Amino acid sequence: MSGALLWMLAGTGVTVVVVRRRSVAVALVTAQALILAGFALYEANGAGDVVAAGALALRAVALAFLFLLLVSRTRELRPVHARVPPLLRAGAAVAFALILTWLVPFLGLDSRDGERVVLALVAFGIVTSATRRATLFHVLGIVLVENGLALAALELPGGASLTIELGVALDLMLVALVAGVFHERIFAEFGAGDSAALRTLRD
Amino acid sequence: MTSREQLAWAVVAAPAVVAVLVVLAPRRVVTTLAVVGAFVTAGLGLALGVLAFRSLSDPVVGRWIVVDAAGALLVSVVAAVGLATVLVSPAYLAGADSSLGSAGRRSHTYFAVLYAFWAVLLAVPLAGNLGGAWLLVEATTAASALLVGFSGKARALEAGWKYLILTSLGLGVALLGIVVLAAGIPGGGIGALSWHALATYSSGSRSALVAYVLLLAGLAAKIGWAPVHNWLPDAHSEAPPPVSALLSAALLPAVLLVAWRSEQALAPVIGTRPGQDVLIFFGLVSLAVAVPFLWRSLPWKRLLAYSSLEHMGVIALGIGFGTPLALAGVAVHIAAHAVAKAVGFYAATPLVEHAPRATERAVTGIARTHPALGGVMGISLGALAGLPPSPLFLSEVLIVAGGFQAGRSWAAAATALLLALGFLGLAHALLETTVGKARRRDATRRRGVRTLAALAGASLVLLLGLSAVALWLPGSAFVAALLKGIS
Repeated sequence: MSGALLWMLAGTGVTVVVVRRRSVAVALVTAQALILAGFALYEANGAGDVVAAGALALRAVALAFLFLLLVSRTRELRPVHARVPPLLRAGAAVAFALILTWLVPFLGLDSRDGERVVLALVAFGIVTSATRRATLFHVLGIVLVENGLALAALELPGGASLTIELGVALDLMLVALVAGVFHERIFAEFGAGDSAALRTLRD
Repeated sequence: MTSREQLAWAVVAAPAVVAVLVVLAPRRVVTTLAVVGAFVTAGLGLALGVLAFRSLSDPVVGRWIVVDAAGALLVSVVAAVGLATVLVSPAYLAGADSSLGSAGRRSHTYFAVLYAFWAVLLAVPLAGNLGGAWLLVEATTAASALLVGFSGKARALEAGWKYLILTSLGLGVALLGIVVLAAGIPGGGIGALSWHALATYSSGSRSALVAYVLLLAGLAAKIGWAPVHNWLPDAHSEAPPPVSALLSAALLPAVLLVAWRSEQALAPVIGTRPGQDVLIFFGLVSLAVAVPFLWRSLPWKRLLAYSSLEHMGVIALGIGFGTPLALAGVAVHIAAHAVAKAVGFYAATPLVEHAPRATERAVTGIARTHPALGGVMGISLGALAGLPPSPLFLSEVLIVAGGFQAGRSWAAAATALLLALGFLGLAHALLETTVGKARRRDATRRRGVRTLAALAGASLVLLLGLSAVALWLPGSAFVAALLKGIS
């Protein structure tokens, strides 16, 4: 994958960490997945690869539809502010990505830059889930991680398996669907999709 | 395809078919269909277990399916716990006053999701491929999260949400480890990650170790090993009691088997000792984190949840020690923990009817106000504490002895000390729960107690049988097969 595309993936990733609006974050993770699907199609060597790229694109569109539907059905009366300010979140995300790159020196993918972006997206996803209060951002953090892993699968020297690619896409959609059910119920129960309300279970 | 392979496919297909039938069936036959389906599924699972036990020297090792000694043990456990879970579920549903779905289709939703979860759970120990095993483990998350939040109450939603997010993120990290492994296997691709193929990893032991640590750290979030166990006490205490039993007695050890298989398969690349060190680390940390909570006065299901953390730690230590004695202990521990823990969680349904505040605080003197229920809780907690002649006492002795046998004296000594402390905490809870000071309670309602008493009787026999097995198991062909793994 070219350096420009990799920078685009990393840039959209770190923007998800700092952006306030849920709909913008949904657009960014969808754009990421579509870039990956486009690249997979460009690199396709047979029918199996085309189907895998199609599955990636379908997953991106289906998740975008689901998330935007959830955003429209659960309009927040007040903005749900994150626990940590945006600049600090971005700093934490970049620092975590650098630590991960240092801890995991070699993944064995086609390019070292690709490896760094994979680790960065995983780090950005975890930081997004850990530092945001809005429940939808927790799920978007998982999607960021999965986008990073989809990039890793594309950069594998032997290529990814169609069965596994389809399985991962299906699993992610299942998890997102279940998360959607929970998000709506949490919104109905607490009046906001705010994870700060979910703090009663403590020992 | 051998008869065991055919049976393995049938074991997974049967509950999946029942899940679909339950959705389509009229309301009046849903429970009957679920119960009949449970006997069929459990029958197939146990038959596969028996066939596999009789062919220990000739395991089925295919690209997508494996039927070996450890898999047979887990399939048998998941099948038996699943059957009991379905049998006690009608009593839970009869008392349920809210749910995620509509009230009119409550039992349809419950049994359909439960069966989907059971089908995937049965498939996990049979997965012949690390990538496939990961997909199945991830699929259990979606189904079981719905079950955790099934009541739709605020605390259940919180627990279900925490479970969904933390385990999904953890499994993302595990998948990163799998991708690293796939990159280093000649002719690779994630689809080629059969358990045999892992031994051919050729990008160096250092990166294989990194991949293994990522894989185990990710799976740890699903197994509930400390320090990534935060979801476990909440999910187990807020899920419907039959579901808590399936989560604790079947899901956790089934995912643990994936970690075990990975350790065995990667041993030729990363070395036996480093792989075992990671397991021992998780085991000791889990025990150390669980013990202080076992000393606290906790609501019944929350106490059982922390006990799950303790027991998953013990199993990790047994696998980490990796000697014949320790693995004999692991086998007994998995089976006995499943029996004792499932019965304990099943008791929660009549317990909450008898003492409604049992969801919020520790209960005392149950045997004084409801002797049958107190007896069942006593059996469960006594066994889980490791009170002789509990098979869990014998399995813990085997595991600690296995630690010394492996030359890991410090870890074995620390395990023994932590287990002794855990025993004291649970023994105190046992006395308080059963014969402590009793409160005034509603003694009229007895929903589900008859089924529970029958299951508890069967469990007592099973537990005593497992104690006998624990004495016979070391040195057996079964332990030799566990030690050999899929090689």
